[in-house]
Amino acid sequence: MSRYLEFDGIGKAFPGVQALRGISFRAESGRVLALLGENGAGKSTLLKIMSGDLQPDEGRLLRDGEPAVFSSPFHAIKSGISVIYQERQIMPMMTVMENIFLDDAPRKMGVVSRKALKRQTQEIIDRFGLPIFPTETVGRLSVAYQQMVEIMKAYRRNSDVIAFDEPTAPLTDTEIAILFKLIGELKAAGKIIIYVSHRLTEIFKITDDIVILKDGQLVKTVETGRTDERELIRAMVGRDIGDTYSELKRNDVLGETVLDVQDLVTDVVHGVSFTLRKGEVLGFAGLAGAGRTEVVRAIFGADPIISGQIKLDGKTVRFKSPRDAIDAGIALCPEDRKEQGLVLLRSLKDNISMPVLRKIRRAIFLDKKAEVDLARRAVEKYSIKTPGVDKVVVELSGGNQQKVILGRWTSDKMTTKVLIFDEPTKGIDVGTKAEVYQMVCDFAKAGMGVIFISSELTEVINIADAILVMHNGHITGKVNREDATEENILRLAMLE
Amino acid sequence: MNNQSTVRRLLRNKTVSLALVTVAVVALFFFLSKDGSFLKTRNLRGILNMVSVTGTVAVGMACLLISGGVDLAASSEACLGGILCAMLLRAGISWPLALFLAIIYGAVAGAINAFLANVMNIMGFIATIGMSSVYTGLAKVFTDAKFISVNDKEFQKLGSSAIFGFVPVPFVIMLALMILYGFMLRYTRFGRRSYMCGGNPQAARLSGMSPNRTTTVLYINCGALSAFAGSVLASRMHSATATAAQSVAIDAITASVLGGISFMGGSGGIAGCFVGLMLLSAFNNGLNVVQLQSYWQLVAQGALLIIALCVEFFGERARLKALKRREP
Repeated sequence: MSRYLEFDGIGKAFPGVQALRGISFRAESGRVLALLGENGAGKSTLLKIMSGDLQPDEGRLLRDGEPAVFSSPFHAIKSGISVIYQERQIMPMMTVMENIFLDDAPRKMGVVSRKALKRQTQEIIDRFGLPIFPTETVGRLSVAYQQMVEIMKAYRRNSDVIAFDEPTAPLTDTEIAILFKLIGELKAAGKIIIYVSHRLTEIFKITDDIVILKDGQLVKTVETGRTDERELIRAMVGRDIGDTYSELKRNDVLGETVLDVQDLVTDVVHGVSFTLRKGEVLGFAGLAGAGRTEVVRAIFGADPIISGQIKLDGKTVRFKSPRDAIDAGIALCPEDRKEQGLVLLRSLKDNISMPVLRKIRRAIFLDKKAEVDLARRAVEKYSIKTPGVDKVVVELSGGNQQKVILGRWTSDKMTTKVLIFDEPTKGIDVGTKAEVYQMVCDFAKAGMGVIFISSELTEVINIADAILVMHNGHITGKVNREDATEENILRLAMLE
Repeated sequence: MNNQSTVRRLLRNKTVSLALVTVAVVALFFFLSKDGSFLKTRNLRGILNMVSVTGTVAVGMACLLISGGVDLAASSEACLGGILCAMLLRAGISWPLALFLAIIYGAVAGAINAFLANVMNIMGFIATIGMSSVYTGLAKVFTDAKFISVNDKEFQKLGSSAIFGFVPVPFVIMLALMILYGFMLRYTRFGRRSYMCGGNPQAARLSGMSPNRTTTVLYINCGALSAFAGSVLASRMHSATATAAQSVAIDAITASVLGGISFMGGSGGIAGCFVGLMLLSAFNNGLNVVQLQSYWQLVAQGALLIIALCVEFFGERARLKALKRREP
């Protein structure tokens, strides 16, 4: 069993962004090391290098001083490294035992022995004291237990190094307690544990060492006992987080109601009502899967509505498609920029003109000159860093991609009344985040109603005028800006 | 990047470099063939005749691929289109009406494909393979595996006459279609929507476009053009059979992919498709002219496609690397 895993000068670049630069630190056996950093700091990239999914451009990994090269995830797993990602790596249609022994089932004369498989799986389940059965289909388990299955898989592989990528994000309090107990046992067994999260309270609860990344660089290594939250935040953000927010020029003139939603019901949303005023920034908080995205998608006409009433500027509307919503003045910056927001292989200009093609035509043809002008104005307005409007968007950085989407919805050919942001700062660097916050405030100032969905509590608390907290498809509470604290929002978000 | 000479920039352009490859292939076969018979009028006319049927299908296929769909039933739609046209003519219907009805059949076949792909959510790939079998079967049922001769003199002219006594009319029609659809893709809203919906249907929908509507139109279009191509073939051959046009779907896809149209949708254009088509046809015909054994022809044709895809892959990788080096 190896005693330590060392990162030695790791560097990695992607087109348009240096994801990691000169990362060196050491994770020791029997200790939990926290990898801390904002979104886009490079934590996930580092994990992917560790798991053999990506190859570093510079630097190397060492185990007990010996260089370790993982040319593929297969190699990394074989040499005892397991990474448990946010996106589950399970086979939902298969059983617990099949998942745990996926790559190495016990055999009898070359054929998988179900009996041995079941017995050995039960032993592992008992070892962790979990109330699940070897023959259950994994897809039917709750998210938390699916994660436990992954941990058991790593345990079964006898991995020396187990890394967790934000494991608590989808879990409830009770489930988190079980997870922490498991991690404690792995630690006692002398495993090297790397724990990625940006929830500070957790970090203080279960980790021994902390490594802080910022914009792809290592800014601080510290023992957990010798630091406090304030110091960590300052290291993560580069300055006191308060500054970013206090420098914002907010809008404080609220107009009349622009959007009024009553008893909205869809597959996953169960009776959501709220109103949005002109110039207001309305935050949506809640855990992943609470139904925030689904609410805005339904309003936007992207998902079918079962019942409920939506009024825009006092008029009842029911959008059959996003096209209708856009024409009525609603715009959505979706959760996943690359999957839902952009056509990555097309140019910046093509992406900006998408919703307004019918307004930039000359007879049956597209007015290419008008289109280029439109895109140029967006590039100027949001200072998008690009050599030209014909640049393919896949080659832009995350922040600039987000600006392209903003440019799309706020061009002078659009009359946006309600602008919806779904996790707009996911995966973009801190500097650009501050820019995005200011833009959100500017849109409010311009009299738009803004809906701001975010999983980063500090962000919602500081940007929104009021916060709606969702849990399981319901709104569990509305918190005004003055009363908003991480605690009271979390309590509403995790309502049992 | 800016001080690059025009020549270098042109060479970077995939379509231009592919055109050069085509010229090289033509030259190669010219020298390999007996007394340059590859470039004799007779053979060239044969190539143009071949190209025009495949090319007409390829126009529809290219647009469909760009928008994210695919029609593997195009061959059987062409074949059955030709047969229906011939049967209608034999029943005494005037040729313009017969041709029109055959095209309508193609459009309906395309609409069925679109229904399966967009409404039933079956992968276009699989759905059209299934339909292909249905149409091929029907073609055999209708013809009883025999030739149906086309005796209408006027209709025969459509496929067999030539302009200046040399350029076949079907080739001129195909060129016109290519120019028309090329313009459509480049300069109209519908063309732009095709690219965006093919590139990322989710993003396109959330930006107010309708990927389903776009691909539906292009499925119908591809079916109609295929049936038209099949009718033209029947006109040129003066007959229709259940084994006609068997490889046009694959050839149309190959030409498109050679020309830089991604199977994933959202990229490429008609110009590339045209050059890809010429390369493919010159190559296929050249193999014939130099009298390569037909089994080996098959091997060579497959190898051509695979090599083109590999070149594309390495090119893309080099481009990404260069990009990375340029950034800080």
